[in-house]
Amino acid sequence: MGLREYVIRRVFQLILTLWTLVTLLFILFRMVPGDPTSRFVMDYPSDAERQARIEELGLNEPLYIQYIEYMGQLLQGEFGDSAHYRQPVSEIIFPLFLNTIVLMFTALIIAYTVGILFGAAMGWFRGSRFERVGIIATLVARASPEFWIGIILVWIFVFQLGLFPRSGIGGYGGELTMNFVDRYINFDFLRHLILPALTGAIVYLATPALLMRNTMLEVLKADFVEIKQAEGLPERTVLYKHAARNSILPLVTVAAIATGAAMGGSVIIETVFNWPGVGREMVASVSRNDYPVAMAAFLLMGTSVIVMNFVADILYLYLDPRVKYE
Amino acid sequence: MSYAVMTSNSRRRFLQTIGAAGAVGTAALAGCFGVDDDEDDVEVGDEVPELQFVFPTSGSNPDRNELGGFISENLEELGFEVDRQELDFDPQIQQATVDLDFGLNLSGWGGTPERIDPGIFLYDMHHSSTTGEGGRNGAGYENPDYDEIAEAIMAETDQEARRELVMEAQEWLAMDQSRCYIANEGGVHPYNAERLESVNPGLGEGLNGFWNFMEAEPADDVDQVTFGYSSDIFSLNPMQDLTTPDRQFIRLLYDPLYRFDEGGIPTPWLAVDEPDVSDDGTTFTVEIREGHTFHDGEEVTTEDVKFSYELFAEYSPTYATYLSGVEDIETDGNEIIFQLEEPDATFASNALGQIYVFPMHIWEDIDDPVNEDDEDYIGSGPFQFDDWEREVEMQLSRFDDHFEPPNIERLIRVPGDEDALVDNIESYEIDMLGVNPTTTQIDRLEDDENIGMAQFDAVGHAFMNYNMRRDHYKDVQLRRAISHCVPKTEFVEEIRGGQGSVTHSPIAPAIEEWHNPDVDEFDGDLDAARETLEDAGYVWDSDGRIHYPPDWDDDDVQMFLSVDG
Repeated sequence: MGLREYVIRRVFQLILTLWTLVTLLFILFRMVPGDPTSRFVMDYPSDAERQARIEELGLNEPLYIQYIEYMGQLLQGEFGDSAHYRQPVSEIIFPLFLNTIVLMFTALIIAYTVGILFGAAMGWFRGSRFERVGIIATLVARASPEFWIGIILVWIFVFQLGLFPRSGIGGYGGELTMNFVDRYINFDFLRHLILPALTGAIVYLATPALLMRNTMLEVLKADFVEIKQAEGLPERTVLYKHAARNSILPLVTVAAIATGAAMGGSVIIETVFNWPGVGREMVASVSRNDYPVAMAAFLLMGTSVIVMNFVADILYLYLDPRVKYE
Repeated sequence: MSYAVMTSNSRRRFLQTIGAAGAVGTAALAGCFGVDDDEDDVEVGDEVPELQFVFPTSGSNPDRNELGGFISENLEELGFEVDRQELDFDPQIQQATVDLDFGLNLSGWGGTPERIDPGIFLYDMHHSSTTGEGGRNGAGYENPDYDEIAEAIMAETDQEARRELVMEAQEWLAMDQSRCYIANEGGVHPYNAERLESVNPGLGEGLNGFWNFMEAEPADDVDQVTFGYSSDIFSLNPMQDLTTPDRQFIRLLYDPLYRFDEGGIPTPWLAVDEPDVSDDGTTFTVEIREGHTFHDGEEVTTEDVKFSYELFAEYSPTYATYLSGVEDIETDGNEIIFQLEEPDATFASNALGQIYVFPMHIWEDIDDPVNEDDEDYIGSGPFQFDDWEREVEMQLSRFDDHFEPPNIERLIRVPGDEDALVDNIESYEIDMLGVNPTTTQIDRLEDDENIGMAQFDAVGHAFMNYNMRRDHYKDVQLRRAISHCVPKTEFVEEIRGGQGSVTHSPIAPAIEEWHNPDVDEFDGDLDAARETLEDAGYVWDSDGRIHYPPDWDDDDVQMFLSVDG
């Protein structure tokens, strides 16, 4: 089987997976009791008004018709209108999505940079006190709930040191703009970004660190490491230039999937730091039975995971010629 | 046992069928484990069926969840079997309020100034016309004699006569216990006392109150006040179905003809004076202020008023009913004349006090006013709209040309997680909070001398509905006995740490003019509950399980105590 055929087959699988995801989501959300009007029951003067709203939303149609309509809409690249905000879903999700991406990418970049370097060092110094303390610290970080790390950071940096603001993405009352540069490239935003990004980084750091250490242990047994050492290269060069480089492969998959999942944001970090991101909206829209928004948010996250997984598979082909497509 | 079946929604029907099958299954099982009468000397009737008790999860409402647990334990101690169904907010409303699938339902009503007039709580929530799915009379209380008194309350224009009816209605409701009123929850909202010299918490609303935003006094150098609330506003368009937080900000941007004052009485606002009502009570003439403008500088005219009332009548799901009795609206110079089909005691408080005046020159170009907005939200209210990013913040500023300009120059509304917002108060990043902190947070906040606590009483209440559509809740004595199992004082003092007050009537004690303090009381007294049941002939088997009297007849139950004979 050629590369071309492999990619085509994978794309086909991708579409199938996405379709299954959409269908499952569609059914799951409709299984939950209530509909978008439940919340307002007490505010409608009579049931007739509420029924009229349900009809307006098309929720009185048989489920398969609603499904066909939704799929048709989706194929045209539209998520529909939010039942709650009465605005196109894209208008609501987009700014939140952007906030999430900025936060999560910062967290992931810190986590993977620090994690990889740290993991490589742990593997290199196997058996040392450094490694033992390192593993314990990593495991503690990994086992700690996100909200707890967040609260500890808040307690130290906000209430004890007074260094950073407690929550939000900018000083209250500032200019509200969708211009990317004005919005994210400024000192005030950075001050708000640090604590939530750090929380995320601490949580996500464990996976790359531990994985890197394990792969390093394998690689260090390889002959070429010994040869490089025999060549008299400095320890640091052998560690980071040769051993670490060869250990990084499994991390590609993990990093790709983590990136995909990160698109969905972290409900907990966003809640603790009042970060206006897509994760919080996901939970809120589910509890309000706002199907179009909930579907879009989950779909976005699911698609990211699936696509990034696909990207990782393809990347593998280039990064490691030993990997065969079959 | 009959189940309401919805014809319009197949999914719901499916879920209900499952529910019905479940119920049948339970009944069949109960039959298998019937009591062995031989061992017992007492002659007993059938077991009282399991009580299906719906109450909020601890995530949805921690205080009421705890209360739900206490009530269940009391009921079990008394010999009832309780099916505890803890539900989140939406599922609870769907199951109990819409599908009416409950035996007991622990819930509550919020109170805003419109609800200070006893009409809503006494008529809407107890009249037989509102017992349908999603209706406000969730208990299914259908008492023809009470209907008469409730209708009279809505029509009576003489204040003293109306007051007597209101007192009597409360007595009846307490006797009949179609719903056990538990407590007016009240609350306390924190604010930054360094940056705000004074605040003005409103009845039932605390710092969310209109008069707080108008009269809160910032310190000298403070030109921007931030206000935190646990959710963002969904919409500022009154033509949509709105929640309370939406209304609380819409009313800052738009002016009605009359505003509710702090005691809930509609007082002239855009109107110059009280409405001139014709002798037969069907014509209301209102004169409006001259020279007041919208935020864009255009003058507010009677044409705008007429246009707005017609717009609301056509589109607003919430307010259209208030205008259904309006036959005709005419303008005459600065006067606007409403012609009603018949006299209506509530027209002033419902329509004149709640319909906002929109700029005709903007809204006449909007084809679909429900789904399209005026994105600048031009009104004539004391605050004007500046900017808004969902989930981030909303920015308003003082409308300097208003006839009653507020003290706050710039008002920023910040939505977010409650705990984060409480922290924001503690780190002095926001100035006011419109939600109740938890008891632990209150203790912490009280230690900080820079933080003030605004106490306020509630208009709304927590209550427990009985589903009188089901046979076993038809007996008034059984309902009264169950009400005795509700520990109201414990709820207020222990669970809520002293926040709020116990109530026995739908009209809050804080509304002194309408509250009747002299009605039947129920408050966590198991002996009284047992006595009530014994007197009504209920018996217990050797396992302590409660049974109907031996000669029980479903068709011959006394549903109401309030009816003579």
